[in-house]
Amino acid sequence: MPLDTSTYGLAHLRLDGRRWNELRRIHGQISTQAAADGSAYFEQGNTKLLCTVTGPQEPKRGGGSSRDQSNEAKVEVEINVAAFSGMDRKKRTRGDKRVQEMQYTIASAFQSTIFTHLYPHSTITLNLHVLSQDGSLLACALNAATLALIDAGVPMSDYVSACTVASAPSSDQSLDEQDPLLDLNGLEEQELPFLTVGTSGEEGKVLVLIMETRVQVGRLEAMVSVGLDGCRQIRGILDGMVREHGKQVLESRMS
Amino acid sequence: MPHATRPSTNESNFVLSALRENLRLDSRALDQYRPISLQFPSDPDVYGQTDVRIGKTRVICNVSCEVITPYPDRKFDGVFTISCELSPLMGAGVEVGRPDQTEALLSRILDKSIRRSNALDTESLCIIAGQKCFHVRADLHVLDDDGGILDACCLALVAALQHFRRPDYEVHGEQVTVFDPMEREPVKLTLQHQPFCVTTSYYDGGTIMVLDATILEEQCREGEIVVSMNRHGEVCQIAKYGGVPVDALSILSVVKQSWEKVKMMDAVVREALSKDERERDKGGRMKAELSAENERVMERPVG
Repeated sequence: MPLDTSTYGLAHLRLDGRRWNELRRIHGQISTQAAADGSAYFEQGNTKLLCTVTGPQEPKRGGGSSRDQSNEAKVEVEINVAAFSGMDRKKRTRGDKRVQEMQYTIASAFQSTIFTHLYPHSTITLNLHVLSQDGSLLACALNAATLALIDAGVPMSDYVSACTVASAPSSDQSLDEQDPLLDLNGLEEQELPFLTVGTSGEEGKVLVLIMETRVQVGRLEAMVSVGLDGCRQIRGILDGMVREHGKQVLESRMS
Repeated sequence: MPHATRPSTNESNFVLSALRENLRLDSRALDQYRPISLQFPSDPDVYGQTDVRIGKTRVICNVSCEVITPYPDRKFDGVFTISCELSPLMGAGVEVGRPDQTEALLSRILDKSIRRSNALDTESLCIIAGQKCFHVRADLHVLDDDGGILDACCLALVAALQHFRRPDYEVHGEQVTVFDPMEREPVKLTLQHQPFCVTTSYYDGGTIMVLDATILEEQCREGEIVVSMNRHGEVCQIAKYGGVPVDALSILSVVKQSWEKVKMMDAVVREALSKDERERDKGGRMKAELSAENERVMERPVG
């Protein structure tokens, strides 16, 4: 089903009725699995992810002499995309490069955010399960992982919040009038060039930036600034979820 | 990094303190590339091979093609695959056969820059829709790793694709005749645009940006940003996989800087290609017949 871009210019509403700078419905639950050290369930629109954290713990392959002597913990990420998560049932092969790249991105992002120097010679394992895919997979994975790590009590420098931004659909309008679209769903991701941006910290410094589609260099600035604003909004939402959960935990302890 | 040897604390401190004073160990400017040299094979019958050197980093690319049946869900497209293998030749710590993370990322970025951005028009590789098409295969071998293998690989790949000639063919109804290069002059591939990769390494919380890092500078860096663009200013991909967080404005200035470097790389490739064409043009296939010289056999005289 092609994206019906022709109606965007009429009311500036996207297919799901959102405006250019509106996020999808975000819902999250912290501490969903009792067995894991930390867990979270995160939904952004129809993209649903479950994340569990185990660690910091002893590395599985008991330290041989060939292991590099780093004084930092190592972050390992494993992503399991359920076969029923997409539009068609598709079982992912083990060595899927796209999934490998996502794993590396998430591991690398948290490697520099978590205070790894506090846990030398140990491993922190993140397991992500994708239950439903509808765009912004990497961004949701980063958000879900943040919540799970906070639940596990792993010390980090700040929240990692991420979202996607698309270059506006092409039309007769001039470059200045087109607004980049924030938080894409699956259809929009297939049709439009987009990027995923992840930030960390109050000032919103860019931690992750992945763009896989062709975009004119002039549009980048607008896309990145809209993305940063979106990340700021998501950071606020994540913060709210964590505080809400904390309040519940305290109240259940009091009673 | 696959390299087992990490730099000593002294070395990394030295590199960092030199960078803070705007100095690099090989006296380059922070945004200066090492000398790039591009060589094509001297044999006039061989097309699609390049040998690229950026400083000491050396990459060889070979492009070949064969006729196969297209994928059933892509009947009108040919197939283009990129295979990049890292071998122990390039440095210690790389094992043959064991797929390394660096290799996976390298092939992903090359895939995104060249395949996903449609640099090579796959529709032009189709012979008969649904039955026959060309499968263009690019093989990259990194012979020496002194930093910047991604930039070198992309350069080698784009140059090799522009250099390569596929066999000519004729279609009569259902019959396809693919001509041998001896029978008919082979045909160039249709490239829609030429993307190049520029890797920027950063230090000191993103305040120092360095282009074309050597292997030592790569091991000391806090993170890197890979930008692939073509000379028209279209950004094909950006990859910043974690690392230390950086200001958004710095990233945008990195993209602008990369554009300048891409134009430079594009000029280098064009010049090398036109020089090679001029040399091959001397007589072409009739070269042996047109020359009145006897072939001199370089043998040591007896006695």
